[in-house]
Amino acid sequence: MNFTITRKNLHQGLAAVSASIPTKTTLPVLSNILLEATDGQVRISGTDLDVGVRTRTPAEVGQEGVLTAPGKKLQEIARELPDEPVQVTSQGDQIELRCGRSRFKLNGLPADDFPNLPEVSFEEGWNAPGQVLLSLVQHTAFAVSTEESRPILNGVLWELKDGQMRMVATNGHRLAKMTVPAGSSAQGGAELIVPPAALQQVQRLFEKENEVHVGRDANHLGFRSGNTEVYTRLIEGTYPNYEQVIPKDNDKWAVVDRESFASAVRRMAVVASDQTHRIRIGFHQGAMRLTVLTPDLGEGEDEIEIQYEGEPLEIGFNAAYLLEVLRYMDTEEVKMGFKAPERAATIEPVRPDGEEGGVEYLCLVMPLRLLD
Amino acid sequence: MSRTIHVLPDAVANQIAAGEVVERPASVVKELVENALDASARRVEVVLEGGGKRAIRVADDGWGMGREDALLSLDRHATSKIRKAEDLRGVATFGFRGEALPSIASVSRMKLETRARGEEVGTGIRVEGGRIADVGDVARTRGTTVEVGRLFFNAPARAKFLRSPAVETRAVSDAMTGLALANPGVAFLVRSDDRVLLDLPEAADLPERVAQLWGEEAAAELVPVHGEEGELRLRGLVQRPDRARPGFRRAHLFMAGRPFREPALLQAADRGYRTTVPSQARPWIFLELEAAAGSVDVNVHPTKAEVRFGNRASVESLVESAVRRALEGEESAATFDRELPRPRLRVREGGDGQNGGVSGGESESQMALFLAGDEATEGDEGRAGEDEPLVQGTLEAPRLWQVHRSYIMAEVRDGLLVIDQHAAHERILFEEIMEAYDGGGGVSQRLLFPLTLRLSPAECAQVEALSGVLQGAGFEVEGFGGDTVILRAVPHPHPYFDAERSFREMMDELTHGSELVRSARNQHERVAMSFACKSAIKAGQPLSDEEVQELFDRLFATELPYHDVHGRPTVVRLSSGELERKFGR
Ligand SMILES: Nc1ncnc2c1ncn2[C@@H]1O[C@H](COP(=O)(O)OP(=O)(O)O)[C@@H](O)[C@H]1O
Ligand SMILES: [Mg+2]
Repeated sequence: MNFTITRKNLHQGLAAVSASIPTKTTLPVLSNILLEATDGQVRISGTDLDVGVRTRTPAEVGQEGVLTAPGKKLQEIARELPDEPVQVTSQGDQIELRCGRSRFKLNGLPADDFPNLPEVSFEEGWNAPGQVLLSLVQHTAFAVSTEESRPILNGVLWELKDGQMRMVATNGHRLAKMTVPAGSSAQGGAELIVPPAALQQVQRLFEKENEVHVGRDANHLGFRSGNTEVYTRLIEGTYPNYEQVIPKDNDKWAVVDRESFASAVRRMAVVASDQTHRIRIGFHQGAMRLTVLTPDLGEGEDEIEIQYEGEPLEIGFNAAYLLEVLRYMDTEEVKMGFKAPERAATIEPVRPDGEEGGVEYLCLVMPLRLLD
Repeated sequence: MSRTIHVLPDAVANQIAAGEVVERPASVVKELVENALDASARRVEVVLEGGGKRAIRVADDGWGMGREDALLSLDRHATSKIRKAEDLRGVATFGFRGEALPSIASVSRMKLETRARGEEVGTGIRVEGGRIADVGDVARTRGTTVEVGRLFFNAPARAKFLRSPAVETRAVSDAMTGLALANPGVAFLVRSDDRVLLDLPEAADLPERVAQLWGEEAAAELVPVHGEEGELRLRGLVQRPDRARPGFRRAHLFMAGRPFREPALLQAADRGYRTTVPSQARPWIFLELEAAAGSVDVNVHPTKAEVRFGNRASVESLVESAVRRALEGEESAATFDRELPRPRLRVREGGDGQNGGVSGGESESQMALFLAGDEATEGDEGRAGEDEPLVQGTLEAPRLWQVHRSYIMAEVRDGLLVIDQHAAHERILFEEIMEAYDGGGGVSQRLLFPLTLRLSPAECAQVEALSGVLQGAGFEVEGFGGDTVILRAVPHPHPYFDAERSFREMMDELTHGSELVRSARNQHERVAMSFACKSAIKAGQPLSDEEVQELFDRLFATELPYHDVHGRPTVVRLSSGELERKFGR
């Protein structure tokens, strides 16, 4: 195998892929990347077995071939090379790079050892605008569970149905759900549970401006945009019925300035227990009173103006959960809904009428028990 | 009418008293050695022949007696230690009944040789079964030697009860061990025929005496205890929890330089160990009490092995809390070190240092846990590159490092700590949940998707029985009919918490019992222990730097950071000293 490539193309290709390489692995070949030189282009692939990334970049291919080489080292070399064409040659399992007066030889491993990325057909998939997909991921993926006991909740639910596209994530304590119009390209239905690691790669690699093609087979999903593809296995199982836990009978509503709410919560969190982050919020007509009392540490109190009608309500929250949710609300004000101190609270952005654009965003936060 | 009431001749009265005071060679030795200590001896030698049945000799270098005193000392109720009834309260010396010498003399062939300071010549007295046979001059150094030959030669019924020489020797040696611990500042030599049983040079303090008796290693695994409450003072040494084993233990209590027995105080000390040792472990305990005159009655029984306290409950609570406090410190942590310094006891200010028993070494401040930058350079002699400090920089908090996803290494001022993340978290959760019970309940996160669990009928019954206590721990659980329960809210002790698994394991343990939950005192503690054990971060769980830091901080905010709730260590220390030894610095 040999090919000549611009330093820039080589570096960009390697940078795209090397972030998918595991830092620690018991399978040495996984710390390598796969280089495949074919007609006029080089494909670079890397994987940690759960998520794979492949990118194509133009090159002048002298002799076709495949090779694996240490990914991080190649990337570091490519970054430091002078801006001149790079000549890449294989010699057995070794790779040689020449660029100007620099020359490197690195030991690789037989290409046969490299795991195959899943073959996912994009023919029967659907498309989504990059901006829409990235927004869905950004607003929901943070809420996935890190607990290993319920693997289903470790993934983001991605639903396509009734002309809508929706992502949902929860750890059983709080939930984020976003729905957007699916557009014409996404017909049919789908219900996928996607590992957040793959969605992170999508966020990292894909541009808002580009269309993203999505393809799937029985248990894999592929994303393609521009020259780059991200593959992942899907999490198997049935996602819990989230519709059922979204309260329909909340009857107390508060409209709160997001910034001042978030900073008040942040202040309270300083004095909250590191472990539980428990704070108490009292909703009263026109005012929200935040208090925190942590044995052995101290107490705090704050008040902000809000719009609130209805019965006063005292409710306990994990401050970290509130802050997370508030971070992804991108409006000046948010609306909170309650029924009772032991029931789920809803938080949603407040948009002027007509500006929703069919986008629905809703978060739930389950309260913490309050002590009297 | 003939008279039936007689005044007993002294010799008979003495023999009767001897029944109380003198049971066997060990009690003779004890009385004689106590007299020697009362005479401010710096060195006491005890020699036994035939297990003490043939002869017992106790020699001291105390202040001795003049001839008149020596003769008087053999009279009943002759004592130099007390004059009137009021003196009985707050007696600081050992003897004060004036019974021991005449009693012993009445059942043996005794030879007393003594010379007081300032006397030209000493006095020798021979007594045969209580009758003075001979008084004369002897040449000797200052001090007193009492030789007791043929104990019970004139009381065959008593002689019959004596055991074999080996057994009697053993009893003497035990009694002497107690006296030697109570008086570290005095040198002791105990010989039995030609065998040296104890050879204890004068020691600086109790730790040194322990080292003399059982070796440096045994001494190094003891932790100093200090306590004070009202007019009571407590000092001593207790064993590091990780070294406590089931079975035989060494436990000694002293007061005013005398050993005494009081099982209730040992039990109080054991209570101080609660949750730091497995339930059957029997840690070593050496405690010295000091009380203001009047608050104790030390004259309970002629053998004076028991002490009666005015307010026993407060003594017990002092012992328990002082032991507990001793286990809070870093010295009580398990260690990798093969050689450790002996524990140091704080000096008692204004102590008389005489019969005070546990006399102190240099006062020593608590070892600092965290690196204090400005102290980093002291004691660095012998290291290469004096001017560049080694690892000890100007750190404020220790560097932490998770290894094998199970342990946390921490650099501290005096070395390294290896922390078991699971054990550490157990301690944290246990204390937090116990505190939460007092404060109305632990944190409880309501679940979006309540958990429905099927349990065995016995477990369901436990859930019902314990539902209030479980709720306090954060589990809101209700029966759902049959063998099904629903968890609506759960605690959230860490981000990797698996509520279902933890709850199932808890219910299994609480239903079927385990060594751990059997050691609990009440239902709250049972549930807290089980919760801590089943819910703590597991070994093998990777933790972020922040999580490691938080675990470390919370561990050291607990009362007993060095011990988990099973009686295992949470922390094992490796001192800089040990590292230096290993690398031959
Ligand atoms: N080894 C000794 N050195 C100095 N004086 C002694 C010694 N043994 C006994 N005596 C004196 O003899 C007295 C009587 O001793 P003892 O019969 O043991 O009664 P007690 O010790 O109760 O006073 C003591 O009070 C003490 O004055
Ligand atoms: Mg006496």
